[in-house]
Amino acid sequence: MRKISRLYLVAGLVCAFGLAVSASAQDEAKQFPVATKTLKNGMKVLVQSDHSIPNVALYIFYRIGSRNEHPGTTGLSHFFEHMMFNGAKKYGPGELDKVMEANGGENNAYTNQNLTVYQDWFPRSALPLILDIEADRIQYLQFDPKKIASEREVVASERRLRTDNDNGGLLDEQLWSTAFIAHPYQWPVVGWMSDIEHWTMEDLKHHFEMGYSPNNATMVVVGDVTSDEIFQLCEKYIEPIPTHAPPPPVTTVEPEQLGERRLVVRKPAELPLLQIGYHVPQTNNSDFYALNILRTVLFQGESSRMYQRLVDKDQIALDVSSDVEAAFDPTLAIIYAQPKQGVDPAACEKAIYEELDKAKASPISDQELEKAKNIRLVEFYHQMRTINGRANTIGTYEIYFGDYTKLFDAAKNYNAVTKDDVQRVAKKYFGPNNRTVATLIPENEEKVKQ
Amino acid sequence: MRILKNVAKVFCAANLALAFAMVSFAQTLKLPPHEKVVLKNGLTLLIMEKHGVPIVSFNAIVKAGSAADPADQAGLAGITAGLLRKGTQKRTAQQFASDLDFIGGSFDAGSDVDYTTISAEFLTKDLDRGLDLIGDAVLRPAFPQQEVDKLLAQSVDGVKAAKDQAEAVIFNYYEGYLYLSHPYARPGGDELTLKKIQRDAIVKFYQTYYVPSNTILAVAGEFNSAELKKKLEDTFGAWPAKPAPAVNIPATAMVKGKRLLLIDKPDATQTYFVIGNVGVTANDPDRVGIRVVNTAFGGTFASLLNTALRIDSGYTYGANSFFQNQKAAGPFAIYSFTKNETTVPAIDLALKILDDLHKNGLTATQLDTAKKYIKGQFPPRIETSGQLASRIAVSEFYGLDDNEINQLETRIDAVTLDSAKQIIEKHFPRENLVFLLIGKASEIGPAVKKYAEKQDERKISEPGFWPPPAK
Repeated sequence: MRKISRLYLVAGLVCAFGLAVSASAQDEAKQFPVATKTLKNGMKVLVQSDHSIPNVALYIFYRIGSRNEHPGTTGLSHFFEHMMFNGAKKYGPGELDKVMEANGGENNAYTNQNLTVYQDWFPRSALPLILDIEADRIQYLQFDPKKIASEREVVASERRLRTDNDNGGLLDEQLWSTAFIAHPYQWPVVGWMSDIEHWTMEDLKHHFEMGYSPNNATMVVVGDVTSDEIFQLCEKYIEPIPTHAPPPPVTTVEPEQLGERRLVVRKPAELPLLQIGYHVPQTNNSDFYALNILRTVLFQGESSRMYQRLVDKDQIALDVSSDVEAAFDPTLAIIYAQPKQGVDPAACEKAIYEELDKAKASPISDQELEKAKNIRLVEFYHQMRTINGRANTIGTYEIYFGDYTKLFDAAKNYNAVTKDDVQRVAKKYFGPNNRTVATLIPENEEKVKQ
Repeated sequence: MRILKNVAKVFCAANLALAFAMVSFAQTLKLPPHEKVVLKNGLTLLIMEKHGVPIVSFNAIVKAGSAADPADQAGLAGITAGLLRKGTQKRTAQQFASDLDFIGGSFDAGSDVDYTTISAEFLTKDLDRGLDLIGDAVLRPAFPQQEVDKLLAQSVDGVKAAKDQAEAVIFNYYEGYLYLSHPYARPGGDELTLKKIQRDAIVKFYQTYYVPSNTILAVAGEFNSAELKKKLEDTFGAWPAKPAPAVNIPATAMVKGKRLLLIDKPDATQTYFVIGNVGVTANDPDRVGIRVVNTAFGGTFASLLNTALRIDSGYTYGANSFFQNQKAAGPFAIYSFTKNETTVPAIDLALKILDDLHKNGLTATQLDTAKKYIKGQFPPRIETSGQLASRIAVSEFYGLDDNEINQLETRIDAVTLDSAKQIIEKHFPRENLVFLLIGKASEIGPAVKKYAEKQDERKISEPGFWPPPAK
């Protein structure tokens, strides 16, 4: 929900890391070869050849997102992502998309709290062109005041679409800004509307210099290519780009939450909403796997405990789900519930806590553990069945775990999760003092009650 | 198309071997080979064996969708589909969910206007268990009363929840206002019609339309075709044959004149708008040309519409257009949104771009770009077994053949500037337009009156979409 993209058709970079139960991770790594090369300017390039379709998926991950922003310039990373399509030196304003489409290609990009990611999908015939375009905009982006003014309006429209006119988006924004009081995860990726209206040309230029150095980026290419040809093209187009200092480290650590926080949003609406956020560790923490197994047992599928309880048995919610985004820093596990009409969100809240308490009080069953592992295995295949899914997955492991080969350890790590681990993380993270509870109350309904 | 030799990379996982097939696609598009078998009871099977990922994808089409709903019980087809897994002769809803989730399977069923779709996916190693689940849901649903009540209540609330997001309901209103009394006007039901649905009507809908001769079942993925055919015969062969009535979908035609419906959402800070008319049928002879022209007009980021409304003016985050080709002519729509203050300039601009398309046609570059874009972006649309199963099932339903894909490039190449001009004149509306707006009526209402001689208004909080319920 926090990821904000240039277009609204993009597939999600979700935190659904796969499971492959395996005898030897090293064998898998051999049989699923990814060639890597670090260019002289520091950009790492990962390539997986797959000639099943004559197309290519190319991702460039820049390690800069809303966590690298400050009050007053929130949303700048995302705005910058938009500007990256508005003209550089060789490919001027409006030309990038035209040239790409004329060669059968398509692109998109997204920004989240941690990263700004550019995606190109194209037939292999467009290969040299795409690298030329990427090199052009990394080096020579234009800062035309007219384009900035116009793109500011586009981003404001995006914010109205996803946040101001979307109750779920609005509540989510308030939840993060309440759950975090110190760390930059407290502000929205799209930015506060007043910041969208006020950031300056200087802010933009500074952001570009800070975030867009090649040594702050990783490229992943999957599809109808050879690693040799990609490395050669990168040497030609990308390697000459000079390196500069990456963004300063984010040093702020969110202090431990010492008691429940609550917030209410009142606005005209047909139905109320409920979101509950719990602080959990960053993606590369060793509890990552046990937490995912716990969330699978509780929330995934109609046989999950929460669905069975809230939707099926008590019939107090239309749906209930949970999400954790990949993150560099400690983040939130969020529970979303859509109460039925006439149901007090407090009733959903109570049922959710009771189910969490059961998971803390006694271990999940063997069958639930096996089910959760099976679901993860299937998810793995789903991610790996397309060239796009593989480019995204390889990049995700490389960025958040620091090494794409961790992809092959995921199997082992999920398999190692025990019922005790699941119970332990339920107790450790899902306590009342660690939660922030957000409810949206339909104002018209309230008025009727008064 | 030349199928080059398979170079399989084996990716071992537990007792499974995942091989990412390296079938080299030639530069021309071609649907992988598949086989059609009609069982004695009339069930059509489409089988596409495609190795690479150990997944089997099912896509069944029952030839009755929301257009078969009784007018006062709109949503019946969708509710019937939704209940298939909610209790069978063998399993309770809960048992079905447990068995499905345990193997990480997926099972979804829902209705489109022309047909009902049931799609499911399983790992190849779980094929037998998956088939048992599909057979159970499709052949032996029990429609327990308490599950009927539950799903109906959830669906009514689902409509209400959707109304909290203009984007989620704008096409329900649009199709209602475009088609009025035609069955295409009510693609899924609303808070009022869903409440009128009774269990008897659901059972009757199922018994009438869920009949082997009225069903297409496509299966694609990693399996042995001969073995699969036997398994399918075992599962579906005993499904009793029975005639099924064809759903009568009257022909549709372009709406004459201009009309505008404003849906008042008092808290909206952005106006969502659709402009369009009735489009074309799924087998319209101009369908490829229409696709090419629409790609240039509103089908891509650099299209005429998005360039004008987003890139050049900053009015919106996005503007696009589409034709939804159906059994009778489906809708054509231009869709965008903009802040309340720029509602009129944005709509004016969209209309100007449509008018310019008629006046100027496309340039050679625009036409060429659209062609290259469709061709370049097509292979990933037929990359997975799930995509392929769905595509061959829908093609079979509409009576289209493999040339829909195998000849696509040739047909695209055949579109010329002249034929594009004819297509624009014939299929893109100009004077006859239907407008649908969701926004804050107190701010935008007076100014948008200029677009149409006939105007209507409703509040989003009033139950139903369009037409309004009879008093």
